[in-house]
Amino acid sequence: MGVTPVTDKEPPAPLIALRRRRFAGLVAALAALTIVTVLSVMVGSQAIAPSVVWDALFNPSDDFDHFAISDFRLPRTIVGLAVGAAFGISGALIQALTRNPLADPGILGVNAGASFAVTVAVGLLGVSDIRGYMWFAFVGALVVTIVVLALGSTRRGQSPVVMVLAGVCVGAVLGGATSALTMTNPDAFDQMRAWGAGSILGRPLEIVWPVLPLLGVALVLALITSRSLNAMALGDELAASQGVRLVRTRILSVAAITLLAGGATAIAGPIGFVGLMVPHVARWIVGPDQRWIFAYSVLLAPSLLLASDVLGRVVMAPSEIPVGIVTAFVGAPVLIALVRRRKASGL
Amino acid sequence: MIIPSLRRPTAVLTAALLGVSLVLSAAIGASAQETRTIDADNGTIEAPANPQRIATLGRANGSFLALGGKPIAVTKLRQGDFDALLEDQQAAYEAATLLGTSASEADLEKLASLKPDLIFISVPNADFEQMKEKLEAIAPTILLGFHSDWKRRVEVVAEASNKVDVLNKQKADYDQQVAAIKTKYAETIKNDTFVEVGSGEFSKVAVFHLNGSTCTEVVRADVGLDIADLGEGGQSRSYEQIGALADYDVILYPVDHKGNVTEAFRPMTESSAWQALPAVKSGRTVGIYCPLDRSYPGNSRYMESLDRGLAALPKDE
Amino acid sequence: MVRRRRLGLRIDLRSIVVCVALAVAVIVLALVALATGSYQLSVGQVVSALTGGEAGLIHEIVVEWRLPRMTATVVFGAALGVSGAMFQSLTRNPLASPDVIGFDSGSYTGALIVIMLIDGGYLEVAGGALLGGIATAMLVYVLAWRRGVQGFRLIVVGIGVSAMLTSVNTWMMLRADLEVAMSAAAWGAGSLNAVSWDQVALGGALIAALLMLAGVLSRPMRQMELGDDTAASQGVRIADARLGLIVVGVALTATVTAASGPIAFIALAAPQIARRLGRTAGITLAPAALAGALLLGAADFVAQHIAPTPLPVGLITVMIGGGYLGWLLFIEARRRL
Repeated sequence: MGVTPVTDKEPPAPLIALRRRRFAGLVAALAALTIVTVLSVMVGSQAIAPSVVWDALFNPSDDFDHFAISDFRLPRTIVGLAVGAAFGISGALIQALTRNPLADPGILGVNAGASFAVTVAVGLLGVSDIRGYMWFAFVGALVVTIVVLALGSTRRGQSPVVMVLAGVCVGAVLGGATSALTMTNPDAFDQMRAWGAGSILGRPLEIVWPVLPLLGVALVLALITSRSLNAMALGDELAASQGVRLVRTRILSVAAITLLAGGATAIAGPIGFVGLMVPHVARWIVGPDQRWIFAYSVLLAPSLLLASDVLGRVVMAPSEIPVGIVTAFVGAPVLIALVRRRKASGL
Repeated sequence: MIIPSLRRPTAVLTAALLGVSLVLSAAIGASAQETRTIDADNGTIEAPANPQRIATLGRANGSFLALGGKPIAVTKLRQGDFDALLEDQQAAYEAATLLGTSASEADLEKLASLKPDLIFISVPNADFEQMKEKLEAIAPTILLGFHSDWKRRVEVVAEASNKVDVLNKQKADYDQQVAAIKTKYAETIKNDTFVEVGSGEFSKVAVFHLNGSTCTEVVRADVGLDIADLGEGGQSRSYEQIGALADYDVILYPVDHKGNVTEAFRPMTESSAWQALPAVKSGRTVGIYCPLDRSYPGNSRYMESLDRGLAALPKDE
Repeated sequence: MVRRRRLGLRIDLRSIVVCVALAVAVIVLALVALATGSYQLSVGQVVSALTGGEAGLIHEIVVEWRLPRMTATVVFGAALGVSGAMFQSLTRNPLASPDVIGFDSGSYTGALIVIMLIDGGYLEVAGGALLGGIATAMLVYVLAWRRGVQGFRLIVVGIGVSAMLTSVNTWMMLRADLEVAMSAAAWGAGSLNAVSWDQVALGGALIAALLMLAGVLSRPMRQMELGDDTAASQGVRIADARLGLIVVGVALTATVTAASGPIAFIALAAPQIARRLGRTAGITLAPAALAGALLLGAADFVAQHIAPTPLPVGLITVMIGGGYLGWLLFIEARRRL
């Protein structure tokens, strides 16, 4: 890869200052997530007074405003938290694994696999319900990532560069096949353009519960690998000399990425940008320590997602914009402003 | 009126002669490539007076099929539009050569090899402009603007394909049907307020539509239901605003050709908010079947579903 | 000494052989494309049509339909290959293409606005695409400018702006009628179904001029691949050369995009395929151009024959380009380790 990792040239300043900044930032991120979560329950296209929201949560009745909370706002908030965290951590993992600060989970073919499987389900098998095709999405993501991992593997292990290229190639082939299926089937095209936009509304909670334990497992995997990934950031050989088991780390990371991004995509559709931007920005703030990047990503990614969702509800009220369309508009200006302000930015 | 006069032998003879000469002139006309001028959206077109091999592209597919036409070549219909056709119309569609999924990607060499004598096309302007010269090299081409009024579209298609009598029959049947519904449900129409809610297409993510289908205009203008005009395409609302439906006496919601709620709308009907709507609780909902592609037979199917739904409504207390 | 010289000779020979082989393949494919189609014509009829011996529909089909389309695959494919080679050399990133600076998503936005909001005709769509793409590229360049444009910042800003425009595109696709959306999607995939002589002549002339400029820039480009400092010491004016590469690279893609939509993956795959076939270290323009022409020609042939009805060529370019590049990588990885 021509894009080299961001080697933050922190001045060898007192470590205490860095640590203080990391903690302060973490508190701020936690506060942001809390605020955004509350907003997500309070704000929507239907103006509902805070007291009514309170009643809806703790003293529900057959009031339509209560239904608006319990049927729609609460589930989408929960979905947003889970999906956002999953995209954030999987992004952090893929960036560490490939040592490419601009990688996103889609680079391993997760989105391509999920989209292809959903298109097959919709176009050839006639599935037309989110409950039906979310499992296709999940299995599609899983299978394709395994294929990419296999293609990117050599006798000596996995080369991140080859893996990324393999992911792009597999993604291209599947993307073309997906489009070929939709372009010859107007009804599949119609469903896929909706699914492809990415939304966290209209996902019944009963489809989210079975995915949550998988996300939990993936989270644990991510934490297990974080120390090894830190070592690997300095180079495979150095890491190996420190006793890091490269193959094991890579396989565990890929498993975690697949479960997280695959599960999140299955629920919400291919929501882009969150998984790319959040860990990238987190690295700018906390430096190249994977554990801190994970902690920030798990808080900031759902914040970005839910903030985008809230914005999507109010900006076109009484209608709505699906969250997948809004995330880039919330995130990209921040990313651009930050990259312009940075003094040293790699390469 | 005519029948008694036919009893007279001379009249019979005259009629017979007239008939023969008509048939003859038609045959001669066809062989001499007699043409007629059609006022289409791409100008005044000299089209054969008696076209035999007609190809249709884009929205013109449905217009021609609904008139009982037998195209030699078509572009792909959506499942919903196909389902809306009658059985023999479906057979006519399936017998035709498929040129492509969308008109802009149609295989024009294949079309040329089928030697059509007339082409109907209804596609967005950008698509037509890039195909115009190729199509016109194959056969006289009649463009009906993509956003053109469907009534005009079927009229032009009927005129150019010699099916004006079929169209008039369909129109008459439809008017009769509407008149019957108006008298049968006069009281409901007068007293109740209606709202049509829909999400006929999957693309409307996270929103439902009020009075947005192409059929809303039909029930308002033709049947006279009390249903608000919210402009073309209606108004899209967030799922959260489902409570707004509580203000209406009767809710019209979308069903497919079999009468089942459409897949795209099903999540809405499964929410507890929907179940709690007064109209839903009292069974005052009407599943309506609104075919996307507009035609008189399509409108008739729509009226049938309305008729069934209104008949099933519980009587006012 | 002798050994080394022979080695150098062999490498040169190899790239010449690769170029010739690619050129022959392009020509053969072009002839096959002329002779085949859904309208059954004998080789004799095709030849006679080309030499002016046929009139009517047969002349129309061969000379007005097939010939411009075939020319377009060669010219546009070459343009895309060169454009990709320039960007990959510039960013030193094998995955770089002009899309790095948001051109594709911007031109798609421009085209969608014309198609969906003003129901424009072919020329307006081309104009909208061009305007959208260039405006986006300029915006990205300006946003990335901070005492010079630096590669990493350019990529990040490009990703950000592209992401926003992609969202705009998704939104417009969602709002449109299905037929309009599908037609727009075919444009967005890249389709040669609409090309006629008007577009090929205009686009071809522009591309020819740009390719000549590319030839001039190829020397500084190779020098810059060795590092900015080395190139500067050899008298290359880095900032000018870089801007020149960006402008010519974008202009090449822009011309193709305006004429036929953003045909994906050729700009990405062609230089890589050429490099691997020639086993050269750096990016070279001529083999990339030929590989691009071959890829697009092959893809268009497949697109017209693989399914019962034709597909937009862009769907096939991603599949063929992606598949072939993947295969090369696979072989390479196996051999290396």
